[in-house]
Amino acid sequence: MTFLRRQLPLVITFVAGVIFTLQYYVPHPKSEILLTEGSLWIQIIGLFALVLGVTSLFHIHAVKIKRQEPGWGYSLILYFGIVVTLAVGLFVQWVGGQHPGGKETIDGAMTAFGWIYTYTMVPLQGTMFAILAFFIASAAYRSFRARSKEAALLLTAAVIVMMGRVPLGEYLLPVTGDITLWILNVLNASVRRAILIGISLGAVALSIKIIFGLERAYLGGGKE
Amino acid sequence: MSFPEKMLRIDRRIIFFVIGLCTLLPLLYPVDLPIIVTPEVRMVYDYIESLPDGSVFLLSMDFDPASKPELEPQAIALLRHAFSRNLRVIAMTLWLPGTGLAEQTVNRVAQELGKVNGEDYVFLGYSPGVGALIIGMGQDLYKAFPSDYYGNPTKTLAVLKDVPNLRHVDYVVSLAAGTPGVETWYLFGKDKYQFELGGGCTGVIAPGLYPLLRSGQINGLIGGMRGAAEYELLIDQSGSAVAGMDAQSATHFAIIVLVILCNTFYFMTRRAAARGG
Amino acid sequence: MPFDVVLGAWVAVGLTLFIFTFLYEDNPLFKLAEHLYVGISVGYTIVKGYELVFRLIYDPIVDEGEWSRLIPVGIGILMLTRYVPKIAWLSRIAFAFVVGVGSGLAIPRLISSYILKQVEDTVRPLVSVLEGGLIRPTFDILNPESSLNSLVILIGVMSVLFYFFFSIEHRGPVKVAARTGIFFLMLSFGAAFGYTVMARMSLLIGRFRDLIEFARPEYGRATLWLLAVTIVILVTAAFRRPSAPPEQE
Repeated sequence: MTFLRRQLPLVITFVAGVIFTLQYYVPHPKSEILLTEGSLWIQIIGLFALVLGVTSLFHIHAVKIKRQEPGWGYSLILYFGIVVTLAVGLFVQWVGGQHPGGKETIDGAMTAFGWIYTYTMVPLQGTMFAILAFFIASAAYRSFRARSKEAALLLTAAVIVMMGRVPLGEYLLPVTGDITLWILNVLNASVRRAILIGISLGAVALSIKIIFGLERAYLGGGKE
Repeated sequence: MSFPEKMLRIDRRIIFFVIGLCTLLPLLYPVDLPIIVTPEVRMVYDYIESLPDGSVFLLSMDFDPASKPELEPQAIALLRHAFSRNLRVIAMTLWLPGTGLAEQTVNRVAQELGKVNGEDYVFLGYSPGVGALIIGMGQDLYKAFPSDYYGNPTKTLAVLKDVPNLRHVDYVVSLAAGTPGVETWYLFGKDKYQFELGGGCTGVIAPGLYPLLRSGQINGLIGGMRGAAEYELLIDQSGSAVAGMDAQSATHFAIIVLVILCNTFYFMTRRAAARGG
Repeated sequence: MPFDVVLGAWVAVGLTLFIFTFLYEDNPLFKLAEHLYVGISVGYTIVKGYELVFRLIYDPIVDEGEWSRLIPVGIGILMLTRYVPKIAWLSRIAFAFVVGVGSGLAIPRLISSYILKQVEDTVRPLVSVLEGGLIRPTFDILNPESSLNSLVILIGVMSVLFYFFFSIEHRGPVKVAARTGIFFLMLSFGAAFGYTVMARMSLLIGRFRDLIEFARPEYGRATLWLLAVTIVILVTAAFRRPSAPPEQE
């Protein structure tokens, strides 16, 4: 039993990891079939990962409601949102729809599910992120100070790019457009490249550690 | 508390009000300042221009409603361009919450240009797997997407005839609000299946894509609302991005003025502190 | 204007304004909209997931007889055993498979795409072939392809990598390299900030455009009415429950 619980997952990771690493270098038709099937499997398993993602949220708010913790009324609203969207998405569609499951439009006409998406989810998510515009301005005013040489450099680059990316800046000082492109294409590209190489080296190292069972954090959850 | 100190501690809601006003006024009273087209945007346009009739163009709208104002205008402009060039269009998304937006966008533009679903274009929708999905499409498109978004078998669609995998796609453009996006399409797609890849993205992730642009791993980059506005000008159809650029000018200058003011007050307080010993 | 569109406009404006009230202070209207957003997003995800079960699993098996799709379904079900404490360990098998395949797929592709390709482009020749077959370095600073800029990029990549990777004491030439790396980093972060401002403002512009559109008479001037209602609610709440001044950043 201990083998099944502890060693088997490590063996599976090792075998799957080695096979799919080597597959890249062996473009034999059989190896390509393996890649086709493997990718399809991961795609289908990904569907179950979606379920995992949403269930934890269900649990957190169910506990809040059960214990009537502060703000539990909002958890009820959350459940209301889920239930209404589900009901409309899964059942209202069946009336007249050829295929089960929610579609935003059928033959070009907006469905009830599409209405919920367009008039609630889109503006809600859009506005949630739009308020960041105000906070970035406030943060710029409060913390963008030239306290050192480095901060002054950062500030100068930010101001140039802010000018060079908008029509008014290019109109008032046309050279800012050219300098912005140079900063982005040369200075910024070199830094981002170094970061990309660094992160990739780290990701490769982590993947190798996972395959050889040196990194096991992903196996967390579930009793031994 | 001295005047500069007071100014540095000003209620942030005053700043909010200024930003709100700088956004609202130019939208109500546009000035239409000229917009210059940058080389990275033109490269995407030129490549689509160079594709012959019937070439296969895949547009992956990898964003959700949070990035709609930046990436939807890019999607509309690219779709208008691709449809007007009579390209066969495959549309899809790697972001589940963006499915509805992507569907509405592609259908709206197709309808506008009289294109027929299944013949001139197809919407594949969302499917999980991210990198594995792209590999799956590279290996066998019909297997990765057995049906389109509306349940029609992909094998039977005229638009996907002779497109069994990504090697038969002439140009892929990913409009990305993050990961998965342009990098994912390169890593799991272009690296092996060798299609040409272009990128469109939000302003937040644009700087991170310049190394790929420089190395030729992507052949062009449409960055944020500004990039969308440039593309709208290239196809000669001004839309919401061009209309938004005046407000961009105003808010950017408001922030520049705020930064200058903050530094002025900061140095005034420092000087006062130094004088006071 | 069809009724569902007008109703949609009123709902969208109301929810938008509820979230904007957060700019004044955290309040129940914002919390209501926030929780509704999460709920609807979860509902949307489940509906899409349900639909995908048909497109990815049920239809191919029933219509095409692709029974092999049941194997990943089995692995996926193992993943869900996480919620049954007695057999939760079975989920490890599913995670082991996904992580193993994922690592295997990632390693060669990361090396090829992000390490080799990026290094290759960094060490470009410092001379360019000009028209007429002339080979010489080019010094046009504003042309990203010039030899001068290739050199700048080489210095930038090396110094930033140096700054991140070498933890030895920064003295002498090491200090110069690390300081150069910091300067490059600061310039890049500044540029990123500048671009981020554009991104954030775009989102605000998008919402304001909708609010302006829905303020038109054909939508019953939804924006104006609901703005007035929201302000009244906030003012009433402020009078009833005197709140502390907003926190400073």
